[in-house]
Amino acid sequence: MKLIAGVDIGNSTTEVCVGEADDARHIRFLTSASCATTGTKGTVANIHGIKAALKQAMGKIGRDVGEISLIRLNEAAPVIGDTAMETLTETIITDSSMIGHNPSTPAGAGQAVGELLLLENLYRADPGNPYIVVVSRDHSYEEVAERINRAAEKLDIEGLILQADEAVLVENRLDKKIPIIDEVSRIDRVPDGKTAAIEVALPGQTIRMLSNPYGIATLLGLDAEETRTVTPIAKSLIGKRSAVVIKTPNGDVRENVLPAGEIYLDASNSTKVNLDEGAEKIMQAVADAGTIRDITGQAGTNVGNMLARIKKGMGELSGEEHADIRITDILAVDTLAPVLISGALAGETCLEKAVGIAAMVRTQQLPMQKIAERLAEDLHTEVTVAGVEAVMASLGALTTPGTKLPLAILDMGGGSTDAAVIYEDGHVVLTHQAGAGELVSMLIETELGLGDRHMAEQIKKYPLAKVESLFHMRLENGQMTFVEDSIDPRFYGRVVLLAEQGLIRMEKDIPMEKIVQVRRDAKKKVFATNAFRALRKVAPGHDLKNISNVVLVGGSAEDFEIPEMLMEEFANYRIVCGRGNIRGSEGPRNAVATGLVLSYTGEQR
Amino acid sequence: MISRRPSIFIYTSQPDMDFLREIRAGIEEEGVFCEVFPREGADLDTLAYEAANDSMLGSGIGLCGVDAAMQMRGLKKGQNAESYHMPTYEQCRKLGANSARAIKKLPFK
Repeated sequence: MKLIAGVDIGNSTTEVCVGEADDARHIRFLTSASCATTGTKGTVANIHGIKAALKQAMGKIGRDVGEISLIRLNEAAPVIGDTAMETLTETIITDSSMIGHNPSTPAGAGQAVGELLLLENLYRADPGNPYIVVVSRDHSYEEVAERINRAAEKLDIEGLILQADEAVLVENRLDKKIPIIDEVSRIDRVPDGKTAAIEVALPGQTIRMLSNPYGIATLLGLDAEETRTVTPIAKSLIGKRSAVVIKTPNGDVRENVLPAGEIYLDASNSTKVNLDEGAEKIMQAVADAGTIRDITGQAGTNVGNMLARIKKGMGELSGEEHADIRITDILAVDTLAPVLISGALAGETCLEKAVGIAAMVRTQQLPMQKIAERLAEDLHTEVTVAGVEAVMASLGALTTPGTKLPLAILDMGGGSTDAAVIYEDGHVVLTHQAGAGELVSMLIETELGLGDRHMAEQIKKYPLAKVESLFHMRLENGQMTFVEDSIDPRFYGRVVLLAEQGLIRMEKDIPMEKIVQVRRDAKKKVFATNAFRALRKVAPGHDLKNISNVVLVGGSAEDFEIPEMLMEEFANYRIVCGRGNIRGSEGPRNAVATGLVLSYTGEQR
Repeated sequence: MISRRPSIFIYTSQPDMDFLREIRAGIEEEGVFCEVFPREGADLDTLAYEAANDSMLGSGIGLCGVDAAMQMRGLKKGQNAESYHMPTYEQCRKLGANSARAIKKLPFK
């Protein structure tokens, strides 16, 4: 009897599987475990994670790590994935000229045009001239209401802009009702003496005049040329419940198209493609290029910097010289990113066109042998580096009930999507594609404007719900769940994530439907595209129709919706596709570790 | 038929009048009505709990001296949704706004 452990070091988790081989070399699986990978995949720092995982696995069956007589490590693929994002357009407002925001409680309704006037300067006002009064946080609502009421007897006050959240309070105390906008944080940047137009939408509606270029032209009396320049303002005010547009004599807003640059593919059919042409064209070029040796970007442009940054980052991680790092595959995805407008008054954002790129960097062989030596020293057992990762994954995937050769596997991890086909005679064809779980997280992060990768990871992993009362919540599929004990009031009225360890609160106020849509789109853009790309590469004759079975393995196959999405996509090709169930019990994880233990038998024969 | 205006109840015991004014302003800004009832001698948890249960909107505030708490119907007594000892004026506004947002089913500030 011999205890054999298979260890799979992945980009994000380290998986182990322990089996017992009898003299006839039959394997009986005993236990398995997984831990977070310590350090970058393929470096000596991984040893801590390996030891922790082994300990955990052996602990489950009440035995000691010392009893293991052979540890088999995966020959990790020498590819590391990275992601980057670059916006292609940019809206700049010079001479701040608009506020368009959604204070939760504006007051009054309608439009007003007038000269901006600070409350302190009321005494300077001319009777007969229309004014919009600007009030800083220093004045209480009672004082504001009183002074406006008094001034309104002589002056023509058309509207109010407040810094504090007091629009309703002021309005309730005014004799003459006027539109009021509040929560304008940068009130100090509102210019005194300029002409402005404000609009508050009727209940249940959004603004109509200021989100229309001709509306702005009507209110502010603009000519045709000026109307053209306010179009981006109008565009960014669509859907708001209140807005301010200020006419500054030399103020203008423009949409800059940044020089996006070209991507150069050094391949069997070398070619170049402009980033402006969009993700679809780029991916077509990548597909047509054949075997890619390296990918670079035009120097001094966005894409050039982006690819250089990826190479530099990977170079630092792996300790290799800059020149040795080659990008062998990219996945480009179109996206929209909410970007803070430079020159805005209340933190307005504008949706800018952006492109997300996942790149795969081929490094030199990872120093697995070094890890094996160190591990053997530490644990006093035999450690070998055995077998190519994808082959092992295929072997492991074959333990899924209901599979047969030839079998295709799709290993969807954090950094890359790998595909392999294993034939009856045992030979394996495999490929690595850039883009997987991490690109999905990045897309979610940018499209929702979270600025928090951890939150994006969680949105990717867990379904959503909205807490509608202290005792029930509505899940994203429309279902309702009721709870016995009241839900913590901190979650009240919020969108939450249903994690295993409880609810996670979404800090940003984004509608649940929007989050669901962004999440599903991101997954589809990355995984559906990559699944087809990868399988087409390994399929006999590069035709998907020649594949009959696909088993999904790897971390992203555990996702609650990705396997279903792929199943739908593959249904058109009559491919049986589903989440793997390694050894009939492990789910899609542990395929490589299982394959490593299994391959021990084959090797000895 | 007797019908009352649906409002948030504020039960008070020797309230700090400045705090009360700010809490009411917070509720008013959110566009909800409120009514104040003195209940001298009761403690903070009781004031808040009973205010929430007596209000037909199910949202109430207790103000006992310089302690303020917000309650919602369905929460146990003492398990206040939010409470402060010596709040700032801003926190008072927030407390009032949140008691109104509870009714509007909006997330708290």
